[in-house]
Amino acid sequence: MKGLKTLTRMFIFPVCVLACYGIVCAIEPHKALIAMKTSGNLLLYIALPLVLVFVIMLALNLFVKPAQIVGLFGKGLRIKGIVFSAVAGIISMGPIYVWYPLLKNLREEGAGDGPMAIFLYTRAVKPFLLPVMIAYFGWLYVVILTVLTVFASIATGCFMSVLMKK
Amino acid sequence: MKIAISSEGSNLNAQVGHRFGGSPYLIIADLGTGNFEAVPNPGSLGQHGTGVQTIVLIISKDVKAALTGYCSPAARRHLEANGIEIFTGLSGTVGEVLESYKKGEIQKTEAATIEREPGKRVVNKAILIHAMKRSGNQFASMLPIFLGVVLLIGLLNTFVSRNFLAALFSGNPVLDTLLGAFFGSILAGNAINSYIIGGELLEYGVSLFTVTALIITWVTVGLVQLPVEIAALGRRFALLRNGICFILSIPIAIITVFIVNLVTR
Repeated sequence: MKGLKTLTRMFIFPVCVLACYGIVCAIEPHKALIAMKTSGNLLLYIALPLVLVFVIMLALNLFVKPAQIVGLFGKGLRIKGIVFSAVAGIISMGPIYVWYPLLKNLREEGAGDGPMAIFLYTRAVKPFLLPVMIAYFGWLYVVILTVLTVFASIATGCFMSVLMKK
Repeated sequence: MKIAISSEGSNLNAQVGHRFGGSPYLIIADLGTGNFEAVPNPGSLGQHGTGVQTIVLIISKDVKAALTGYCSPAARRHLEANGIEIFTGLSGTVGEVLESYKKGEIQKTEAATIEREPGKRVVNKAILIHAMKRSGNQFASMLPIFLGVVLLIGLLNTFVSRNFLAALFSGNPVLDTLLGAFFGSILAGNAINSYIIGGELLEYGVSLFTVTALIITWVTVGLVQLPVEIAALGRRFALLRNGICFILSIPIAIITVFIVNLVTR
């Protein structure tokens, strides 16, 4: 049942898009062909970055274990806690809902609101997706956005620590 | 045969401790008699030298295997040198882990790299295969939606005109950034999709402010996942965090574009 739900969630969107293609194909077949060609070109453009994505994913899976990521969490909003929570967020992979049970568990153990918020924010930095991001926006943009994202995560952690105490 | 399981509490219903040395209790279970005892973990005090006391305690109890969430390399080295097998990456209750161990369902964890010759490390083949399978699954799970997005962009490229998008976005950096942040907050999924959509929007002449706000909020704000976040971390935490992230995305987007423009000018 759970597997069926996951499959539905994974395929409902592409199936809907394919249905749209079906409709377009029936009404304006030449435009459907142009759309397909555009998508094909787009895929070719990001093929190499996607290979790099897989390689980085493999490296992270090989050398970083979820329990180690959990172990990086800090309890208070001190320098060590901030750095470790940010690193944990950056190297964590997979959809966020996979992490909620672990976060809940951590919270029950007394992990602070600040480190938790920092972890959730720095998930926006995806090392394994950097090749795709660089292909689209260039090095400079990616470096600046990544640095600012880390600063913003710390700001979020500080705000959360203060506001959650009130 | 005795085994030790790091635990957050003193009974079998407690959660398995995340860190071997830092968990409040160690449950010592005798598989032969079925008895168990909960021993306070000296390492949980976090004082200098208490980690060593945990290792000494385990060895003195004649334990043959240690089960936990995470075990530091130093502790692993000492325990393995004393013939104790280490099983890491475990979660759930102590009782569940104990049952899994009895059924032989828990595989011994090994380091990703092993030393074959002094100073020469090679990747453990079994771990490599496991990591490849895991990466393959993760990659495959994001592929259908990713391909859907690519196909949709093909359609949008063909049917949506630049004029339409120009009308949708006012050209005002603040308003357009707000709009980008709003779209990023309601859309969800792998971040790679936000890069592709953002890149295509740029091609259409949408401003970098809008695209940056969309990319930031795509991951940091999750209106779709909000009920799950509330259930896991509480209403106050979830609402405050998402609100702060939304508000912060505006200045971050503006500062990012400002610096990029400044450097490239």
